[in-house]
Amino acid sequence: MIRALFSAASGMNAQQTNVENIANNIANANTAGFKARRAQFQDLLYQNMIQPGAAATQQTVVPTGLQLGLGTRAVSNEVLFTQGDFSQTENPLDLVIQGNGFFQVLQPSGQTAYTKSGTFHLNNTGQIVDPNGNLLDPPITIPQNALSITIGSDGTVSYTLPGQAAAQQAGQIQLANFANPSGLNSMGQNLFQQTDASGAPIIGPPGGQDGMGTLLQGYLEQSNVSIVQEFVNLIVSQRAYEANSKVVKAADEMYQQVNNLKQ
Amino acid sequence: MDQISVLAAAGMQSRMQSLDLAANNLANSSTSGYKTDSEFYTLFASEAAGEDASGLPAVPMIQRQWTDFAQGLLEPTNNPLDFGISGKGFFVVQGPSGPLYTRNGNFRFSTSGAIVTSEGYPLLQENGQPLRANTAQPLEVSRAGEITQNGTSIGRIKLAEFPNPAGLNKFGANYFTNSNGPEPIDAAGAQIYQGKIEASNVSASHGAVRIVGLSRQFEMMQKAISLSNDMSKKAIEEVAKV
Repeated sequence: MIRALFSAASGMNAQQTNVENIANNIANANTAGFKARRAQFQDLLYQNMIQPGAAATQQTVVPTGLQLGLGTRAVSNEVLFTQGDFSQTENPLDLVIQGNGFFQVLQPSGQTAYTKSGTFHLNNTGQIVDPNGNLLDPPITIPQNALSITIGSDGTVSYTLPGQAAAQQAGQIQLANFANPSGLNSMGQNLFQQTDASGAPIIGPPGGQDGMGTLLQGYLEQSNVSIVQEFVNLIVSQRAYEANSKVVKAADEMYQQVNNLKQ
Repeated sequence: MDQISVLAAAGMQSRMQSLDLAANNLANSSTSGYKTDSEFYTLFASEAAGEDASGLPAVPMIQRQWTDFAQGLLEPTNNPLDFGISGKGFFVVQGPSGPLYTRNGNFRFSTSGAIVTSEGYPLLQENGQPLRANTAQPLEVSRAGEITQNGTSIGRIKLAEFPNPAGLNKFGANYFTNSNGPEPIDAAGAQIYQGKIEASNVSASHGAVRIVGLSRQFEMMQKAISLSNDMSKKAIEEVAKV
């Protein structure tokens, strides 16, 4: 009886985690470069009431035992690194990675963080920075009098100066990729951090031999959240929560009746 | 104790276990690759119930559960490392103490490039070795389970089929073990769908009906015990009155 109560409670907990995850996805539906997460569940341990394979008689064994499960748990909510839609912005420092890879930015702490969001700006010294002011790594500086900035699909950044016909090269953007990107740690602000699960970054130029995607200038990658999918998940999750609460009620009523046996 | 109470109490106890099973099913309605458990009732000849000439020799009890291996819905996730099986068969992964079988096709790359489950158990290919891939390259899985990268095959996913899956036991964490059954054969008819994951095959409506049924049966047996108590009480207090 206590088993049924706790199984149902674990189901309610899991669905709550699911709804929290869905809420965060929907809230970030308009966050450029946001990647949706999907909650994953597992069944918990089983209590063996009758051990399978136990001797039923001297000649025969119990073919299948009686195993009572103890509920469920949320095991992970992995990031889905599918490509989001592209929207044209005409801003020369808006970049999309078509394929694998992350931009590298240097945090004030000196640690490198990784992001899919390609919204970049220039700071007061002409360096390319992300919206939080973190420097793009490797750093690229554009002179203040530059007229136009061009970023090639291989990450080459060039600019033209007034009165000069030839473009000047400012550097090349390098991308990082991971063996297991789902293992990255979300830090907020669209930034990811390397962990033991993700492995060390593999760094290479866009479109190179390391399997990095190519860059597209003047576009932004929208979030890959599908609102329809999220709402469908929300309905399913809410109904599952309700079903589990009904089990709690049924178990409670059974308990009550047992208590009423003794008058 | 009198027979009615013993019988009804045994019935109540087995309904409680049934509710445990139903609760676990409903709790796992969002667990990928989960398979519904149901119970088999049996009549258990008990000494307490009296095997003598009284004619009520058996109490109902749950003898064992059986798992409904029906196909779950293949939900699209667009994650290239989500594999859904359509048809009979299980993925074989290398567990800490022997092979484990699962229908939960949610995989990821380990840092060494092996395709692993969320516990880190490697997915096995047909020759029994873990599958390894170049993590920087996109990966394609054919319906037959052949994994290719850049047009080169890197192995074929092993699918195990159990002619009698009743020998499988639930291990928890979406795994099954085959501790006392015959060795599996290679699954012939199953297909693998990349970018899809098999949802739990728990039916919420069936579960709800089951719970209502269990509650009412439980109530009925509780009434039977009360009735039997009343009868005994009357027999003791009134019949014996002089």
